[in-house]
Amino acid sequence: MKQVMFELDSEKCISCGACAVACMDQNDIDPEVQVPFRHVHTLETVENGNVFYTNISMACMHCTDAPCVQACPKGCLSKDPATGLTVYDNTGCIGCHSCVMACPFGAPTFSAAGKMMKCDGCMTRREHGMEPACVRVCPFDALKLVEVEDASENKWDKVMKRLRQTGSGK
Amino acid sequence: MTETEKLIKAKIPGEETGIEVKHSLCDICTPGLHCGIDVYVKDDTVLKVEGTPGYPGSGGKLCTKGASNRQYLYRKNRIKTPLRRIGERGEGKFEEISWDEAYKIIAERLNGIKKEFGPESVAWYTGYTKWFRPWLHRMAHSFGSLNYGTESSVCNTATVMAWQSIAGRQFRGDLPRNSDFFIGWGCNTMVNSYSQARGLFAFKERGGKVVIIDPRDTPTTQKIADIHLKLHPGTDGALAWGLAHLMIKNGWYDAEFVAEHVHGFEAYKEYAEKFTPEETERITGVSAAKLREVAQLYGQAKQASTYLPSASITHHVNGFNSMRAMISLQVITGNVDKAGGEVPMYTDLIYADCGFKTMQHDFIESRRPADCKPPIGTGKFPLWDVLVDEFHAMDLARQIEEGTPYPVKAVMAFGLNNRMFPEPDTILKALDRLDFLVATDIVMTEACRHADIVLPACTSMERSELKAYGGGFLNCTQQCIKPLYEAKSDAEILCDLSRYLDLGDTLMEKGYEETMKYIISNLSVSLEELRDSRLPLRMKEFAPHKPGELREKGFETPTGKLELWSELIASVGEGRTDLHPLPIWSEGFDAASEEEFPMTLIAGARIPNALHSRLHEVPWLRSLRRIPSVDLHPEDAARLEVKEGDRVTLASASGEIEVGVHITAAGLPGDVYMYHGYEEADVSRLIPKDHLDPYTGFPGYNQVRCKVKKVGVK
Repeated sequence: MKQVMFELDSEKCISCGACAVACMDQNDIDPEVQVPFRHVHTLETVENGNVFYTNISMACMHCTDAPCVQACPKGCLSKDPATGLTVYDNTGCIGCHSCVMACPFGAPTFSAAGKMMKCDGCMTRREHGMEPACVRVCPFDALKLVEVEDASENKWDKVMKRLRQTGSGK
Repeated sequence: MTETEKLIKAKIPGEETGIEVKHSLCDICTPGLHCGIDVYVKDDTVLKVEGTPGYPGSGGKLCTKGASNRQYLYRKNRIKTPLRRIGERGEGKFEEISWDEAYKIIAERLNGIKKEFGPESVAWYTGYTKWFRPWLHRMAHSFGSLNYGTESSVCNTATVMAWQSIAGRQFRGDLPRNSDFFIGWGCNTMVNSYSQARGLFAFKERGGKVVIIDPRDTPTTQKIADIHLKLHPGTDGALAWGLAHLMIKNGWYDAEFVAEHVHGFEAYKEYAEKFTPEETERITGVSAAKLREVAQLYGQAKQASTYLPSASITHHVNGFNSMRAMISLQVITGNVDKAGGEVPMYTDLIYADCGFKTMQHDFIESRRPADCKPPIGTGKFPLWDVLVDEFHAMDLARQIEEGTPYPVKAVMAFGLNNRMFPEPDTILKALDRLDFLVATDIVMTEACRHADIVLPACTSMERSELKAYGGGFLNCTQQCIKPLYEAKSDAEILCDLSRYLDLGDTLMEKGYEETMKYIISNLSVSLEELRDSRLPLRMKEFAPHKPGELREKGFETPTGKLELWSELIASVGEGRTDLHPLPIWSEGFDAASEEEFPMTLIAGARIPNALHSRLHEVPWLRSLRRIPSVDLHPEDAARLEVKEGDRVTLASASGEIEVGVHITAAGLPGDVYMYHGYEEADVSRLIPKDHLDPYTGFPGYNQVRCKVKKVGVK
């Protein structure tokens, strides 16, 4: 398997949340007791009286140098050497929340029993030739899991550029 | 965790896990979509759903709502058994009874009422969705009554009627395969129909131009539209007249087609004169320059197709005329009955324009009773009376209360939702006056709490159903799991009940499976073949009508032409000052004072995670927008001194609710958008019950004068 990453085409995404719901269906998440893995946001900017939306779908970003891996005192988190995804085995999880405090995106969440859970890129599904649930459902093919060498940086660049504008109030 | 446990956790189908994939459809929204779903089942339990790859229309994808099917199925408030009311109406106190007891009570009461007051004193009503309507319609007939009514008293019918008044039948945009221009009126297809939106993306790649008319900025206006006309709510009709004015003045219309196929052009042309670009700009807020640009693009397009919605435009009291004015543009540009423009619809099984016939028509018509009293509401909306074979639900409460022209004593209801009705307490109060009310539903609702008998229905995954699609496709879905608790499918309930009512309807009495066989008995396919197929099958009998046939034969109107001046309306509207043969322009507000209620409420503009009230209690979807909130423009928010998340009261002349605040510049200043169907904040309270379109009886949900006040401020 090659190194992979999630790619979002913000031109096609409308933050409808189908990805977030499909993720909850796949991973049996009850949002009344647990923070879901994936979230959608619409950021609105007004420029010269015209409205612009920046649409985002975010879960674990599977950082190359993932701070959660370093932060976990029990060694639950690791980088999958084959795919580069940030994976976990929460058998030893003591629920200390160090991972989520270290994560710049606040991605790890906790089950009702206090065990850390997060997006693992639907590892098992992929091993059986199936796409991650969020990618599979996306009605506009905005969200993809792509091989790193094929990724067009330009898509995330567009999102980040818009985010910076929003952040600075422009 | 063993390897097998790991696979089960990941829901991988196969022998090792015992997880089977069954084929159903998503019945959460309109039959125009009904996307195919793969249902992952283990031990009679649904584990997850996915779109069915290769399915007609949906192509394996799902929207936000469709992705929630498992939680929709396993909602906590499912009705488990038949119930008999033991408390006061509305109190919600019931005792569980058996199906046999329930059927016996219903049969005794309905037959008793029929004997005393006549068969028409029982109304047969269904809300959303629409899949079992042929069974209910036949049942009403078998019972001896024309009082079959549906939620279509407020959905889609007005659009069909507008087409019928002009062209004799409904047409649809041949979008956008062959067109070079597309105009979407009130079209937010990226949120409401991803399959159509995907078609539009492809259309744009081929060089097609897209114009979207919407008072809000939406994903569709931002990501698909080349030109967005952001007009004041309810001014679509004036905008259409403004375009007509420019097209006629500049010769951007098809004079030859008009001369040959159009009736009433002179009167139409004369009326269009006053809609100068300046006057149109004054009414709609759309600049004269943009108007000119669109009029020219549209008028000079080789083929133009439209999206004419089933609700957004016609949910104004001037909506029928707006719709006619919009269709009229397709008439004068010669785009009606033409490939790439508007093509005629020949709907069959449950509204599908599928291109083949089933026995549905005979199924309903063979039991039509003779010598019946006219349906509820007759005379109130005379155009409805001649075009629609249903009672009008907006007059149900009045007729129950007044008992004129004849009493209505019982309602046999499926999916009856009071929140659909303007000032919803009015219908509840009327239902409380009935001798007998049966409410059938999947979950316990407010309307159910007012019923004498409550029956548990099931979702699409718990039943097998016939479903036709455009392009000649037919499906019979697999029952994925046994119905939960003691639930049954609505059609099965009707077939069972026909036996207890002893109506002599031998087909219905044979049961649901036999009725399905009858409905496809003219086709060279069996239910088994359909159920065994992973995908809908294309019927050998597929024989679509070709556009252009009606141009040759003559349109199905009194004059045989496309009627800009409707002779049908001229005849049924005689003596009615509120019905005009031309789609004349008028304001769509209610009668409240602008001074007291300076803002405009648009109730029901779609959000991705809800559909009417049915998904508000599905936690996955509710988590995407937890608090019923009104969309306020930043300028209004500043003036009202409210910020994101504050609480406000939203009030009209007819009612008031308290809601959260969401600040967005999507709409125009002064316009507020509120989604409907929330039990704790039902915006239908704010829609005056007499705020109805005189042609169609559709409520003006989308344009009501209102005011917003910060909670705690005097």
